[in-house]
Amino acid sequence: MIWLWGSLALWAAATALNVALAGSGLARHRAVRLAIPALFGVTLLVLWEGVVRGLNVSPVILPPPSAIGARIAADLPLLWTDFVQTILKGALPGYVMGCGAAVLVAVLIDRSPFLQRGLLPVGNFVAALPVVGIAPILVMWFGFDWQSKAAVVVVMVFFPVLVNMVAGLAATDRMQRDLMATWSAGYWQALVKLRLPAALPFLFNGLKIATTLALIGAIVAEFFGSPTRGMGFRISTAVGQLALDLVWAEIAVAALAGSAFYGLVALIERGLTFWHPSQRARV
Amino acid sequence: MKRLMTTALFAGFAAGAAQAEDVTLQLKWVTQAQFAGYYVAQEKGFYDEEGLTVTIKPGGPDIAPTQVIAGGGADVVVDWMPSALAAREKGLPLVNIAQPFKSSGMMLTCLAENGVKGPEDFKGKTLGVWFYGNEYPFLSWMATLGIPTTGGADGVEVLKQGFNVDPLLQKQAACISTMTYNEYWQVIDAGIAESDLVTFKYEDQGVATLEDGLYVLEDKLADPAFEEKMVKFVRASMKGWKYAEENPDEAAMIVLENDETGAQTESHQKRMMAEVAKLTAGSTGALDVADYERTVATLLGGGSDPVISAAPEGAYTLAITDKALQ
Repeated sequence: MIWLWGSLALWAAATALNVALAGSGLARHRAVRLAIPALFGVTLLVLWEGVVRGLNVSPVILPPPSAIGARIAADLPLLWTDFVQTILKGALPGYVMGCGAAVLVAVLIDRSPFLQRGLLPVGNFVAALPVVGIAPILVMWFGFDWQSKAAVVVVMVFFPVLVNMVAGLAATDRMQRDLMATWSAGYWQALVKLRLPAALPFLFNGLKIATTLALIGAIVAEFFGSPTRGMGFRISTAVGQLALDLVWAEIAVAALAGSAFYGLVALIERGLTFWHPSQRARV
Repeated sequence: MKRLMTTALFAGFAAGAAQAEDVTLQLKWVTQAQFAGYYVAQEKGFYDEEGLTVTIKPGGPDIAPTQVIAGGGADVVVDWMPSALAAREKGLPLVNIAQPFKSSGMMLTCLAENGVKGPEDFKGKTLGVWFYGNEYPFLSWMATLGIPTTGGADGVEVLKQGFNVDPLLQKQAACISTMTYNEYWQVIDAGIAESDLVTFKYEDQGVATLEDGLYVLEDKLADPAFEEKMVKFVRASMKGWKYAEENPDEAAMIVLENDETGAQTESHQKRMMAEVAKLTAGSTGALDVADYERTVATLLGGGSDPVISAAPEGAYTLAITDKALQ
């Protein structure tokens, strides 16, 4: 019980401290602004540990974070193998291929009214296919290894990027395009110099959404046949073995990887769309 | 009026529940003849005779019986011994109270054209294995053979096989896991002649581990009322099993009636029941300690990566079957 009451007391104290910090003048400092969410996260972990230990929750229902941390430390090589298989081999190539194809198709759609009317609805249809439905089929087509996972990711990321890119290409107004025309710029010159840069904020919107979709796609696809490595494989099989600490370790790695991937794309966005009002507003 | 009727209905249920004792059974897999004994006991009123109200919950590819019982979703589960012992070592104290399946129905089925004639030919091949707690017999077999499961020329490439036979039909694997009563016939039904197949029964390879047994949580057994309930449950279930063995076609039809998904077919279930009857034959329901010891030895003999690291203590009890089967 000491664990339960201790963690609850710490939670109350830390929350009070956080509220005071956020309201005080100290919140102007960068260090304090970072400390507030960090303290909040640490408190959650301590509370989790305290409740699990205090109430004697079975480790096969919910392991305490300390056990998960120990498992991460002990199984680093295994987690790395899974990370390479799922993220580097499955999610990333699929992401690059899917997003690249979506941008190319968006330009084609922009050029041709026929594609605009014909392809977009079909793209919508593809996007509505459930991943649990297409994953087994793609495994059958592309085999058990990462190729089929990358294919699932392509299907998942293609449409959000396409829709955003099509909207982005339409973002310039008549006046701007007329101006390019008075300078006798051709289609491609206008595209590269005016319309693509103008489309970037929209494109990055899609790219950011696609980062987490790619991760989910690659992990879920591994549930439907995979070699004996990969995060999805490990999560689905470790549950059957009641190795819940390993499942949580994989979840932690996946969450970290997903956040890092998203952060990386957001960082690139900030560098490329520095001119956009949404970026300028930040100091 | 409607509310009045529902209240009356609920009152009726409550009264019924007070008289009969409730037991929730979690199956290892979907409704099929593999579990005929329980459905037969239900339909033939064997549970009613004992004063039990039994709820049979079907399983599926994403349901691990160990997890269901850990979460309090069932009183008793059907599981394979390797998975139950591994769970016991992980801190879920499962105890075997009865063992309706005497023999193992698991085998590895290979296409003859892939050149696998004996276990020595596995090296360098891709083998399909079920996971989710079903991989233990395979892993201990490979450990006994001294074949690493990490791939390469000297090892075998393992792929996580879905619960179907596609990898063999698609030539993605040289061999796949099958059960004598189910997937083997799916391969045959897919148009592959029996003569084109090479099968390795775990039973013949000396690495057979006990399959469908009944497991409960250790601490609940300490309660005499629960123990008494399990005695009744095991007695009625075994009566169901023996009836199913003797009347396989009727048992298959009972299973079909209980299949809410409608996915099973009559011919498939009749064939499955005939095969399952071979596995339950020779079992009274009481666990044969020699079979248990063999299973533990197989699981411990996993070389560098054994399925369980120490011989379990108190992982079975004969008390229930001793009382139930006098």
